[in-house]
Amino acid sequence: MEDTLIEFAKISKSYEGKQLFEDLTLEVKNNEVVGLCGESGSGKSTLLRIAVDLVSPDSGTVRVLGKELSEWDPRELRRNLILIPQEAQMFPGTVRSNLLWGLQLRGDSADESEMKQVLKEVNLKEEMLDKVALNLSGGERQRVALARGLLLEPEGFLLDEPTSALDEASALAVEDSINELIKEHSIGVLMVTHNEEQAKRFTSRVVNLRGGKCL
Amino acid sequence: MQLLESILAFWNSIPPEVQTTMGRYVIALALLAVLILVSKWQGIGIADKLIIGTIRGTVQIILMGLILVYIFSLRNLIVIFGVLTFMALFAAHTVRENLEDIPGVFKATLPGVTVGPLSVMLISVVLGIIEPTGEFVVPMGGMIIGNSMTLSTLVIDRMWSNAQKQRSLLETALALGASPFEATEFTIQESIRSGLLPNLNRYASLGIVSIPGLMSGMIIGGENPVVASLYQVIVFIMIFLAAIIAGSLVSRMFLKEMFNERMQIIVPPPEG
Repeated sequence: MEDTLIEFAKISKSYEGKQLFEDLTLEVKNNEVVGLCGESGSGKSTLLRIAVDLVSPDSGTVRVLGKELSEWDPRELRRNLILIPQEAQMFPGTVRSNLLWGLQLRGDSADESEMKQVLKEVNLKEEMLDKVALNLSGGERQRVALARGLLLEPEGFLLDEPTSALDEASALAVEDSINELIKEHSIGVLMVTHNEEQAKRFTSRVVNLRGGKCL
Repeated sequence: MQLLESILAFWNSIPPEVQTTMGRYVIALALLAVLILVSKWQGIGIADKLIIGTIRGTVQIILMGLILVYIFSLRNLIVIFGVLTFMALFAAHTVRENLEDIPGVFKATLPGVTVGPLSVMLISVVLGIIEPTGEFVVPMGGMIIGNSMTLSTLVIDRMWSNAQKQRSLLETALALGASPFEATEFTIQESIRSGLLPNLNRYASLGIVSIPGLMSGMIIGGENPVVASLYQVIVFIMIFLAAIIAGSLVSRMFLKEMFNERMQIIVPPPEG
């Protein structure tokens, strides 16, 4: 079993003429929860997107579970490492159909009890299953996105400022869900946040992205 | 005097039915003059386009008519399908012109608007659904290519604008392990449905609300209305089949312009 979830080695990336990273190196172990802090525009979200090959670095190597990105089928990679963006997106349909979305892509499904279980793990009631996903609040969307990812049984999660777009009550509810998820599933998490206090609450290690490098 | 005699001789050489229609055309030009006046009066600003369009359209369509008469007289199916291929090429070019801000449109459209309509026409001829003559194959083929062209324009436009406007949703789908096709499937299905909708409406109200072009043409040409009606239904079926084949092919080809081989979105964000 590979003990490193993600390894960024000497990554450089510029976007619209701005150098985001230069020779950035960062390693996230399996079962490790790493907080990634940094100012707005420092490239934190881009780094997460690089990890799942939605964006390519200009130079450097990224390995996920020991394999370079080019060795992965992008679909397989993204099923193993779930990225949840800052504003979780819902597909048209119910919460149920959203939960099943990723599974159905690989010809799989989940029964009612499994869906109820993941909803419970993210502190949502099972009655949510039949709600229209597009009508959910920001906090509920984040938690449904977590539940949707959990059903895919990934090796790790990439969380992009999971509470930044939420009011305080929703943010606390999402924080609770993430805490549960980390405890229950002991999987690797790389979480971007601009809130260092929040990072300290969850994570075993906090890394600061400054001047294009991890400190 | 001699000139007048030659003009008269030329006029007399024109078949009487063409002479009559030319008279009608001249009267219609008087209506066009009214239209131009109304357009100027109301400030609609289409007078120039109407005049140029009438001159250009008349020349183009008469030339086309003469070319078709020649082609039909050859009685050669290969030549007839050659005409359809040229029409499909022009259709792909038109889609590119209409979507000039989007890259790779011609490359993505050409296989769809060629394979869809031409395969349907070929099958219809082989099965004996339509007569293997230019008089049937070319106008029906034209209608089918035209509809496939409209649908292809809509599919590409929707796919591109959705990738720009709903980028986060598209990226979420990819991030859950969807292939580019799976991530855009909903948009493709929706645009094919909307593209077929005007024809589906006409199909549903056939004979009651609408008497479409082919049927009207055949009736005016003196064909039995029942024969004209049956041909109209046949054409609708061919239009739907060809458009679905074209839309599916075009959308799959266009995915190559939206995603790279690592399944990353390469559509730039909207400007402004």
